[in-house]
Amino acid sequence: MLLGRSSEGNDALNLNGTVRNEVDSGVEHGEILLRYSDAAVGRTPDLRAARDALDIAMGPDAVVDCAATIANFQRMVRIADGCGIPLDPFSREESAKWRDGLGIDDFRSRGNTFDEN
Amino acid sequence: MTTTTASFAYTSTTWPVLDRMAAAHRRSWKMLAAPGEWWTGAERISIAAECRRASARVDGLPDPGPGPAELPEAAVFAIHKLIGDLPNVTRDWYDETISAEGMSDAHYIELLGVVVHIWSVDEFHRALDIDLEPLPEPLAGEPTQIRPTGAKAHGSWPPTVWPDDLDERDADIYGGADRAANVRAAMSLHPDSVRWLTDLFDAHYLSWIEIQAVQEPFRVLTRPQRELVAARVSALNECFY
Repeated sequence: MLLGRSSEGNDALNLNGTVRNEVDSGVEHGEILLRYSDAAVGRTPDLRAARDALDIAMGPDAVVDCAATIANFQRMVRIADGCGIPLDPFSREESAKWRDGLGIDDFRSRGNTFDEN
Repeated sequence: MTTTTASFAYTSTTWPVLDRMAAAHRRSWKMLAAPGEWWTGAERISIAAECRRASARVDGLPDPGPGPAELPEAAVFAIHKLIGDLPNVTRDWYDETISAEGMSDAHYIELLGVVVHIWSVDEFHRALDIDLEPLPEPLAGEPTQIRPTGAKAHGSWPPTVWPDDLDERDADIYGGADRAANVRAAMSLHPDSVRWLTDLFDAHYLSWIEIQAVQEPFRVLTRPQRELVAARVSALNECFY
């Protein structure tokens, strides 16, 4: 649902770009930020190169900011999925418009939010 | 390896880690070392150590070894599940975990609080290729076993405490607001975990007040850039919420 909230009032962000590499997110330096995020979360050998690329493109302060954002949401997702946080009825209805298109209805944790597991 | 003082000095790295991040990391280590409501300081250090063992297993690295106290089998299993098998955390698994010997819903929430905060600080270090901080020495003392009296079923698996139901000693956990975000309320069976969450969230991302504001306070990434990263991390973890 974070995906949907991210796009509110933010015309620049293409939701499809957050889950599909072939789609431009519409965010400046989005490709480099996603490469670093993928490498950090996925523990890929690309981490150092991805970090260097971000450093060159945006500078060391941006690397730290991005690392902190990644660390923050590595925490938040575990709280959400570890507690089966429910979705309020409004968000449930609103998100139905774009959930399926992004493929997140296929996430197993959907059942935790909707109390189906 | 443990240490009696948490430095988080960041002197050996060239990355410009903000003072507010370093300070929050030091506070995290202090919170970790102290006895909680349901676990001793030594048990909390062992939860953190097990978190690192789980991470090492995922990464194919050598086992860093257990902490100073023995944990219930269900607790160890829960830590590894939360770190390495998050998409398969389910309601049935939660119910089974809190019913196991040595566990309860309150034990689980405090354990989850330790896991996610230590994991987060460690993930920050890993993303920047900074050595992990040694775990602190545990502080003496027994768990208080104080359970919030206003905890009720509100939709999350564990009971939660909404602002109107807070005990006086926990009146601060939502900053005086009359509503609480679901993710904060989810941890409210262990109020110190809500305080910890708020502290580290403010340092790593934005304060709850800053999120509502229009201005970008101290960040380098723009809001769309941060939210792009946040959404990607959620998607990579297959987090529906």
